[in-house]
Amino acid sequence: MDLLCFTNCFLPQEDGSLVRRDLWVDSAHGCILDAQKTFYTIRKRPTQLIDLGSNILSPGFLDIQINGAYGFDFSIYSDDQSYLAGLEMISKRIVETGVTRLTQERSVYPKLLSLLSPHSFLHSASLLGWHAEGPFLQQVKRGAHAQPLLLSAPKGIASIEEVYGPENLAPGGPGVRMITAAPELQGIMESIHHLSDRGVIFSIGHSIASSKIATEAVLRGARLITHLFNAMPQLHHRDPAIIGLLGAGGPYSTRPVPVTPHSPRNSAVALDERVTPPQTPVLDPTYGSVHRGRRGQKGMLLAEGDEFERPFYGIIVDGIHSHPNSVRLAYTAHPEGCILVTDAMSFLDPHLPNGPHEWRDGRRIVKEGDKIFLEGTDTLAGSIITLDACVRNFSLFTSTPLSCAIRCATYNPAKCLGIENKKGTLRPGADADLVVLDRNDGTVLSTWVAGKMVWSRK
Amino acid sequence: MRLIIRDGPEEVGRYVGNYIAKRINDFKPTAEKPFVLGLPTGSSPIPTYKHLIGLVNKGELSFKNVITFNMDEYVGLPRDHSESYHTFMFREFFSYIDIDPNNVHILDGNAPDLVAECAAYEATIKAQGGIELFLGGIGEDGHIAFNEPGSSLSSRTRIKTLAYDTILANSRFFGGDLSKVPRMALTVGVATVLDAREVVVVVTGQRKSVALSKAIEEGVNHLTTLSALQLHPWALIAVDEDATAELHVKTVKYFKSLERVQEEVERNKANLNENASSVD
Repeated sequence: MDLLCFTNCFLPQEDGSLVRRDLWVDSAHGCILDAQKTFYTIRKRPTQLIDLGSNILSPGFLDIQINGAYGFDFSIYSDDQSYLAGLEMISKRIVETGVTRLTQERSVYPKLLSLLSPHSFLHSASLLGWHAEGPFLQQVKRGAHAQPLLLSAPKGIASIEEVYGPENLAPGGPGVRMITAAPELQGIMESIHHLSDRGVIFSIGHSIASSKIATEAVLRGARLITHLFNAMPQLHHRDPAIIGLLGAGGPYSTRPVPVTPHSPRNSAVALDERVTPPQTPVLDPTYGSVHRGRRGQKGMLLAEGDEFERPFYGIIVDGIHSHPNSVRLAYTAHPEGCILVTDAMSFLDPHLPNGPHEWRDGRRIVKEGDKIFLEGTDTLAGSIITLDACVRNFSLFTSTPLSCAIRCATYNPAKCLGIENKKGTLRPGADADLVVLDRNDGTVLSTWVAGKMVWSRK
Repeated sequence: MRLIIRDGPEEVGRYVGNYIAKRINDFKPTAEKPFVLGLPTGSSPIPTYKHLIGLVNKGELSFKNVITFNMDEYVGLPRDHSESYHTFMFREFFSYIDIDPNNVHILDGNAPDLVAECAAYEATIKAQGGIELFLGGIGEDGHIAFNEPGSSLSSRTRIKTLAYDTILANSRFFGGDLSKVPRMALTVGVATVLDAREVVVVVTGQRKSVALSKAIEEGVNHLTTLSALQLHPWALIAVDEDATAELHVKTVKYFKSLERVQEEVERNKANLNENASSVD
């Protein structure tokens, strides 16, 4: 067994805190170890010590919405070979931004999807599956998506299967992991539970759903909102629509939340200075019994049987697609649901110089920092922000420590995808996909996939 | 018995850490002849552990050939529970030093046969040639390990029911929930500790001052099990100023003067050696 010990480092926790602790990794099996168990049960200790110089050791970032990068566009297909080469190229290069897992995104479908199962290339980020954004999108909120391609689903789930191919929606199978669609379109609402039953995440986006429709979509299993604030109705106080889901609590509550004074039943009498401890033991008769947690503790009261779970939301934190104040507003409302996404186009490449660049159809774009415009206009041509930059921005915009921002790029997306035991976490048994960040400014210093270093800052 | 008085817990930790390091280094342990060390849990030894970790990091000390035996462990508490003594030792000490996991011994409070577990523990200690140095701390009632008031002074490793006061005191580690505090523990006995060739006990804080006074200023008494140390031929108690609050001024002065004299003797001896070697 080849054991590594990362030492002198800070580990971001699932609750957004940061603790100074060592991390033990089995680099042969590429997983994170329970250090204490390894020590006492397997009776081994690491052979190799890696001093990280008081920097942050984070789980690898997960980008659940990316369209392309480094000049390659996931939605442009010429032939199998060059497509796979493009995927591999992105997987190899994107690790410099701390990303170790991607769900790619595309707009035109079925024959491609069959050859694009989750891929894993050596020494690179791996692909978790596809995030299909469209074609079931609302015409008026289609954004950059081409109008003639948009559809509704008159036959419900059958229509959806027609587009993606049933094999790509099979439970546990490769292919589509997430679908962004507008729930108000014909046949979509009825299909949500079919999709979630198969383990496909339904995400509300490119939609004009009202509060009522959006809420119903969530009750039927929608788990995510695609690029919050973009391609959806803006927040209106009488009908906050999709954005309003962040404030949803118990839409069907029937009673007010009862007031319960704080009185831990089993607290030690000795700790309560107003009560003299008895001389003889007064031990609790419930000793040894299992304490069950109460439901609905977060202050939301639900009617019997209604479990309303607020959806996760993807948010592009480039300071352009959502204003810093909006980011802060959303995060304050629902910190556990926040997921940083890039929604990046093929121009994502931190090495691409500012200035004009050739684009498709003979048009040119101009890169200016994190913005790209169509040349001669002020029309945004998509996002080119990297996820590590999103993490740094997020920390600035919300005045939260880096560890909270890290959670939104690791644990939260993993939890949304239901893979939080394996990815986006430092739990024992999880994959050793790691990124070392500078503790002061959050720049990526090195990236590790399956316990092996795949990139490091020169 | 020696009583060493230092200003605060950190100074005590530094003194005891240096002392143990010197003992281990002078012993020159090898794989064939390892140094056998007894270890406690609790808040008092933490500064000592911190100092030892520092020495290991600086390369001045190695635990490669050190075998450790811990004093005690709760019964029925999962080994990876945040309050188990396995967790404590790993978190505060073992994860930072270069000790071989095979050389670490902690009683298993989840063993199917607890009596056999205790007997096997004693046998293992004996097989390693006995404990060279037992480091300890005490409770507010003067207990050493889980040998609470009334424990036989000739007790061996065994199951102990915890005193109500100890359950109360420990409940702070279990979210203030009395029902979650284990009721029993496995612990080395008073005689097991006294069998060690040397015993070093750390006592810090005013809350321990009554116990310290009873242990060293009064007679041997099973209600303060630490007092059994009076019968040990090579014992050292290291305390901070706060812990001396209940001692007689005379006692404090006596032990402080003793340390001065000892220092003087050692200085003279060092000078003599130096002179002798310069004559050669």
